[in-house]
Amino acid sequence: MKINYKHFIFILLSIISLFFVYNDDFIYKEEIIKITDIEIVNTDEQKNFKGFKETHYYNEITGIITNGKNKGEKRVIKYENTESSIDTDKLRVNDKVFIKLGVIDGIKRDFYMWSLILLFIWLIYLVGKKRGLLSVLSLSINILLFYIGMVLYFKGINLLFLCVILSIIFSSVSLIIAGGKNEKTKSAIISSIISIITLLILTLIVVYFTKYKGININELKFLTVPAEDVIIPELIMGSLGAIMDVAITICSAISELIEKDKKISNENLIKSSKEIGKDIMSTMSGVLFFTYIAAGLPIFVLAARNGYNIFNFINANFSLELTRFLVGSIGLIMTIPISTRVAIKMFRGDNHE
Amino acid sequence: MNKILLLILLLLMLYIDKKRGFKLFLSLILNFGILVTIFYLIALGANPIIVSLLGCFIISYVILYLVNGKNIKTKSAFISVVIVLIITLALIFVVTKVSRIAGFGYESYEEINMYSYDIGLDYTNISISLILISLIGAMVDSSIAISSALYEVYDNNKKLGVKELYKSGINIGKDILCTTTNTLYFAFLGDFMTLIFWFYGTHTSFLEIINAKTFVAEVIKILFSASGCLLVIPVSAYITAHLVKNKHKSID
Repeated sequence: MKINYKHFIFILLSIISLFFVYNDDFIYKEEIIKITDIEIVNTDEQKNFKGFKETHYYNEITGIITNGKNKGEKRVIKYENTESSIDTDKLRVNDKVFIKLGVIDGIKRDFYMWSLILLFIWLIYLVGKKRGLLSVLSLSINILLFYIGMVLYFKGINLLFLCVILSIIFSSVSLIIAGGKNEKTKSAIISSIISIITLLILTLIVVYFTKYKGININELKFLTVPAEDVIIPELIMGSLGAIMDVAITICSAISELIEKDKKISNENLIKSSKEIGKDIMSTMSGVLFFTYIAAGLPIFVLAARNGYNIFNFINANFSLELTRFLVGSIGLIMTIPISTRVAIKMFRGDNHE
Repeated sequence: MNKILLLILLLLMLYIDKKRGFKLFLSLILNFGILVTIFYLIALGANPIIVSLLGCFIISYVILYLVNGKNIKTKSAFISVVIVLIITLALIFVVTKVSRIAGFGYESYEEINMYSYDIGLDYTNISISLILISLIGAMVDSSIAISSALYEVYDNNKKLGVKELYKSGINIGKDILCTTTNTLYFAFLGDFMTLIFWFYGTHTSFLEIINAKTFVAEVIKILFSASGCLLVIPVSAYITAHLVKNKHKSID
């Protein structure tokens, strides 16, 4: 790779932003201390009723305040943590931690997150060059749109309605950035929108008849908004990416097939698209499956270590993750026939016999 | 409700392709069994990192060989996934240790306070295996996309050398970059929304959010899923290019 002035600017920007995020303590209202010394005053071992032993550490943390009006002062704070780190953190010297009401409230993690984001942008640039940066752009726009959507929701707009509108904007923006403005993109956008709406209607019908039976909505009970309001929009949003992915793949393939052989019959086109769909559905459903189900690991381990029957536990606690996976997969498979028909209609027009 | 959704999913899979749909459905059940076994072994006290790494190998074996069949495409995809998984694991290990995203955030306390926290298992390792398992599906997807498309290229033009094949593999990779990152982004967004609502309900400020354990953990998870897909592109292109060429030579 030749290093030109653009790379140089990128590298410079990365370093400056890292430096800034590491030293941005002054923008926080909460007191931050940089740990200079950790002394373990005492350790003991506690057992839970299943007999699992856990080491508790009682530390005295010494640090220097790095922001606010007490900057430069020394602080000594007691902190208890455990080997498991379920609700505590393993602190180290040179960590920056927040202090709230005289106790340690959490590690300052923004620097770690930003470093990883930068690393990811560099990686996507190295593999995808310009296309890679375009996907970063598309992601950023989507994050911004999502943020705007949330603001509107909190202003009182119905979330489901918002969700449909957002899906239309999301798919248009992402697909145009990914594929440029052309017939393929247009048909993919239309297919995504039709698929999203069909999926939404299907989900609403299933919910209407089953009334969330067998799904543990309690998982969402901690919310300050009604869980029923949130569940369906979440399910639909979660499927959107997969639906767009399938739509663009099928539409490109159909356009390719028609271009190669203008006389190809619609039956053959549908057959080919099923052939392609066969490959997509097996791997794409895997993407959703592992992304969602893996999220249940921490709580599963905690429950199992507390002597809960794992089969009852799976029934009660994996239901929502499973629903996410099922709705997503139904959405992506449904998109295969839908985008086939949309693409045939668009590329063939009405003049085809 | 899940039973009805499961039935709809099965019917749709069968509609696309009877034989493959049925196989896929079985493999999903099998994968669920493998996952629960991994979870259970971790809960019993087995090393989470080793168990989940081996588990990921088995899972990719199931997805690639049992569902897609044994051929040169799946072989190169499998090798690439194994290599990239090990590289990614090293990265995940470092990042998780440094950023200390193990355990639960404030929003889960209500859900977990019925349990005793004295369980004698380090959650750092559990976070590492969580990230590893959640990226395996996406990595297999990218890897097989590259190897099958590249095989198609080779099949249409057998004169291409290893270098040209590698180059066109990277080009194919560029095509799937945007859609893959999107798929992952939205899949995580579904989960993420809950968190955002919670933050809103508890009046958490933006600055607090970007330092919150759960938020940072979610961002790191999605970044690793996407990075895994990215890393697998050149590796898969390289391996497929070599495999198809070698096979060609041995036939000659």
